[in-house]
Amino acid sequence: MTEEKIAVTSESTALPRKSFATFPVTRPTLALLLSVAALILIVPPLLDALYLRVFISSVIFTIAATGIAVLYARLGLVSLAQVALVGVGGWVTLRMWHATGLPFEVNMLTGAMISGVVGMLIGLPALRMRGLFLALITLMGAAGFQILVTGTQFPNGGEGVLGIAVTSIFMPRPVLGESDEAMLRYVCVVAVLCVLFVELNRRTRPGRAWALIRKSEACAMASGVNVAFYKAWGFALAGFIAGIAGALLAATLGVLDATTFPASESILLFALTVVGGAYNWLGLVLTGLLFRAAPALLNDIGVNGHLAYVIFGAGLLHALITAPTGIAGQILEGLKQLTKRRVGR
Amino acid sequence: MIAIRDVSVSFGGVLALNNLTVNLADSVVGIIGPNGAGKTTLLNVFSGFVTPACGSIRAFDTDLLAMRPHQRARWGLRRSFQTEQVVDDLSVADNVRAMLDSLPVTSRSERERQIEKALTYVQLEGKADELGSALNTYQRRMVELAKTLVGSPRIVLLDEPGAGLREEEVDALRQTILGIGEQFGAMTLLIDHDVEMIAATCISTVVLDFGELLAFGPTAEILKDDRVKAAYLGIEEAE
Amino acid sequence: MYGVFLVAGLALGAIYALSGVGLVVLYRSTGVLNIAYGAIGALGAMLAWQLEQMQYPEPVAWVAALLVATLLSVAYGRLVAPYLSYREPVVKAVATLGFALMILGTANYFWVEAPRRLYLFTDTMGFELLDVHITGTRALVLVATLATTFGIAVFLKHTRIGLLMQALANKRELSSVLGVPVIRIETYAWLISGFLAGFTGLMFGDLVRPNPGALTFLVIPAIAAAIVGRLESLPMTLAGGLIIGVVESMSTLIKPIAPYRSIAPFVVAAILLLWLQRNRKLTFSGHD
Repeated sequence: MTEEKIAVTSESTALPRKSFATFPVTRPTLALLLSVAALILIVPPLLDALYLRVFISSVIFTIAATGIAVLYARLGLVSLAQVALVGVGGWVTLRMWHATGLPFEVNMLTGAMISGVVGMLIGLPALRMRGLFLALITLMGAAGFQILVTGTQFPNGGEGVLGIAVTSIFMPRPVLGESDEAMLRYVCVVAVLCVLFVELNRRTRPGRAWALIRKSEACAMASGVNVAFYKAWGFALAGFIAGIAGALLAATLGVLDATTFPASESILLFALTVVGGAYNWLGLVLTGLLFRAAPALLNDIGVNGHLAYVIFGAGLLHALITAPTGIAGQILEGLKQLTKRRVGR
Repeated sequence: MIAIRDVSVSFGGVLALNNLTVNLADSVVGIIGPNGAGKTTLLNVFSGFVTPACGSIRAFDTDLLAMRPHQRARWGLRRSFQTEQVVDDLSVADNVRAMLDSLPVTSRSERERQIEKALTYVQLEGKADELGSALNTYQRRMVELAKTLVGSPRIVLLDEPGAGLREEEVDALRQTILGIGEQFGAMTLLIDHDVEMIAATCISTVVLDFGELLAFGPTAEILKDDRVKAAYLGIEEAE
Repeated sequence: MYGVFLVAGLALGAIYALSGVGLVVLYRSTGVLNIAYGAIGALGAMLAWQLEQMQYPEPVAWVAALLVATLLSVAYGRLVAPYLSYREPVVKAVATLGFALMILGTANYFWVEAPRRLYLFTDTMGFELLDVHITGTRALVLVATLATTFGIAVFLKHTRIGLLMQALANKRELSSVLGVPVIRIETYAWLISGFLAGFTGLMFGDLVRPNPGALTFLVIPAIAAAIVGRLESLPMTLAGGLIIGVVESMSTLIKPIAPYRSIAPFVVAAILLLWLQRNRKLTFSGHD
């Protein structure tokens, strides 16, 4: 029997040909760890106060984007509610701290778990429907959250369930993140942990179930996979990660504001996840930078922030039509071509 | 033994299966019939993707239709599809391992042993770590087959496994199918248009036409039956 | 008391319903659920407001709004949508998100968030019905919605173009093989949808407020109405929109939930989806 290779082009499937599937310390993972180490050690002292905050924010939304990527890259599902879930996480964390005064990490995990449950509940009505309905219900969930939180506002030390006070009491930073520099390091470490946690999922049972579901739900069922369960698990994980991001945001700022969480931001974050590249951690880093650092930069050079929406919207169209793996995918593909040429293959 | 009783399926007025009743007991049973006869529909009823309007399927003293689709796989129902469903970005071993994930297999070493046994049986043990995207059509079909053989399968449903394969590959497939009962203890139901394949592997054969049972019996007799030949008019010439 | 909110709710619901109809007609013919629908209407309505501020006569504002919305819709349909015509519905819808972001960014750039009023000549007209005053605008939007929904249903069943649109709804690839002029028919769908977007944008801008963000997110209740219609039934979409509008408006009377009444679309859609999927076992991704 002769061996024949069938050319599987990247255009015919939406997924990149070789995903980062070997464990544990491959070159990509090593690159990740080194970059983050560099970031953590070298960069913070170099940044001025404003950009320190901007980068903290960027990393936080890289974390949030990781959740989007779990659903989009692994399951092929679109969630347009991620920033809303970040808001949920932030709300719960603030409420927990004001009510109990427990250490930040405890409040963060509580916030994350509740966000996970909420994420799962938002997706629940459409788990067995077409992907389009799922996208739509999450969009409506994001709009719903915007309405809810505009009414309830975020807890800031007051009495009652909603905990609203006239003058805000700021939630303190975690012990390890008191200064802005320390906070940047803290969020970077949490980001790496989140990415690794997602990878762990991907390389074990949930990841295999997701891959089957993405290929064909019928095939997944025929393989014994409980499709609804693993889709829900994906939503729970994405929500959990969003909650972590929300907690970190609350910790960085001390208070949160409803105007940070309109539905349009959830749409924008999703768009940028696709533009940056949902299939690779580099893409997620780019997403965070585009979401928070780019507008700050544009502001500095006098470009109106609203034009960022125009550019990003166009970017999404471009990504969907020609570059499904995003900017990161194109960069990595380019690097691969370069190394191939050098080796003379 | 599989007892199919009065199974009827209708799709918006079209009767895809009409009161199908038959008992299947041999280790490899063929299902043949012209296009649209209801063969894949029958398999979809087995798998749980289609709910029959009435009827029952009992296999090895279990009411199959009472279980939810993914539970049937755990019970021991296995299925391959007309278009093979190998996941491109999982390795061969992972593709097979996914099947075991949902089964109550005791230990990790037992899992690995089963994977190795299945892959060796289809002669792909050397490819265990290759990604699905690197395989050719025959290898992909074999991976799909290996997947059906892990974790104590009881019934293996194969939907045109030979489609798109070359002659020597079909020969190899034939041998593989023949050994399933002996090596893995499962009963095989085989849909195929390749009459030689059916003749070589199936002990008895079901013939469907327009959703109805046209004939059932030992394969050799079935293939000589005039009614069967009439139903297949046109397909014979392509062989 | 109830009457006032009921009328307001019916008018609002009519906008939702008509928007939903615009979405469904487009979706059935092209497979695109146009999430930029609200944004398209937003640009039209803001342009109308701007022209009013600049003292142009009202007909100019009307024409500008409807024309711009229709053009935007057709432009997307002819220039962008074809690149995605063989992708899954969810991808096509996500692409319209990109378009929505572009339009929203543009609108926000020119018109900063601020309190505004859009005046249409129908505002000053009105009549009394059972002790409730019904403005001309509200009456217009209700009548227009009912007439349009009925008219489109007739159009789809009894005209050549309408029938061809139905053909596209069922099997796009097959239709093109059979010689249906797919691009031309789809253009009609984008045209109708865009025109409706412009009209509903004007109505919403008048009855609620002409602000880019609010107008863009008119698409949310529109989608909810379309979901009630299961993305295929015009009568159900009409009913859905009206119900959502009335529920939302009447909730103003229930003090504790009043500030959250705009969440009505989400609740209605979620309940309906849960109901729709109660018997389903699975979806077949990519082909559904």
